[in-house]
Amino acid sequence: MNGYARRLAAVAMLAIAAAQADAEGYGIGSPASAADIAAWDRDVNAAGVGLPPGSGTAAEGAAVYQAQCAACHGPAGEGGPYDRLVSPFAADNDFGGDYSVRRTIGNFWPYATTLYDYVQRAMPLTAPGSLTPDEVYALVAYLLSANGIIGAHQPVDAGNLASIRMPARDLFFWSAESRQLEAQPLPH
Amino acid sequence: EVSDAPFMTREETSKYTDALRDGRVEQFTFTLGPKSLITSPSYPMVMGQRGFCEIRGIAWTGNGRVQRVEVSVDGGRRWRDARLLGPALDRCGTAFTAAWDWDGKPALLLSRATDELGVTQPMPAEARRLRGAGSHYHNNAVRAWQIDADGRVTLGLRALI
Repeated sequence: MNGYARRLAAVAMLAIAAAQADAEGYGIGSPASAADIAAWDRDVNAAGVGLPPGSGTAAEGAAVYQAQCAACHGPAGEGGPYDRLVSPFAADNDFGGDYSVRRTIGNFWPYATTLYDYVQRAMPLTAPGSLTPDEVYALVAYLLSANGIIGAHQPVDAGNLASIRMPARDLFFWSAESRQLEAQPLPH
Repeated sequence: EVSDAPFMTREETSKYTDALRDGRVEQFTFTLGPKSLITSPSYPMVMGQRGFCEIRGIAWTGNGRVQRVEVSVDGGRRWRDARLLGPALDRCGTAFTAAWDWDGKPALLLSRATDELGVTQPMPAEARRLRGAGSHYHNNAVRAWQIDADGRVTLGLRALI
């Protein structure tokens, strides 16, 4: 065939292929099963919705911490190459004026549920999502206890985590622009 | 997943929030102030001989349109208007250009954007005074390029502090 006929044939074949793909799907990917979605649907909100069954104590968490966390975060939540996790709340911390003041779970995190949500989805860095719910609850109990927020023997579970009030909670406020957005009626 | 309230994730609380000077911590700030960067000359370029060259850059602002960009070649002592290239559109990058007759001596190049709300990029000391050192996510302070007599371009922050 000459060049023009060849191009015409190529366009015709593409058109036919496109029409067929339209009818049968593009052959890319596969449908997500309910089990797939359930495995990803592991978020926990500030009200504790999404917390799975399970529980843990600081003593149990200490063992998990040494095995999974200490290498990056230090032997007791400080002194490691990554974020410092432990530092009790102090009312005179000048986060606004001095960026060298480390922001930790105890002195800066406003919600305890965040700790569960973040650890279970993102930690340890080398195997995120690999910890069991009991291990995560234990780590949460260990870190909250180390930061002086709960007693050393208090177990943490879905029933009580959302009601633990973090000392830094009162520092946080919503920006005016976000409050304006929230006040707007949702579109129908 | 759709929700009717923030989840209060790590990124909405301990990260991406602004610690203010009065001790409070502001969440959910979406608007960033005016900012500009000179893209040429810039590191790691080496200037050619002295004479006319072009200062080029991009400016943007979360407040809407870029209204004006000024440049300085002496570290901020004297400023003059650059020319905006193309339309300045809402929250879009806006290019600017200025001609510069380089005398071959060391220079400190700065750019400073002003937006349609009249907000101007602050100098670093003013930025720290306004928002404190803990509000780094909103750092839109003026940036500088240091040009040495041999034409080498490096970051010039130290000279501005």
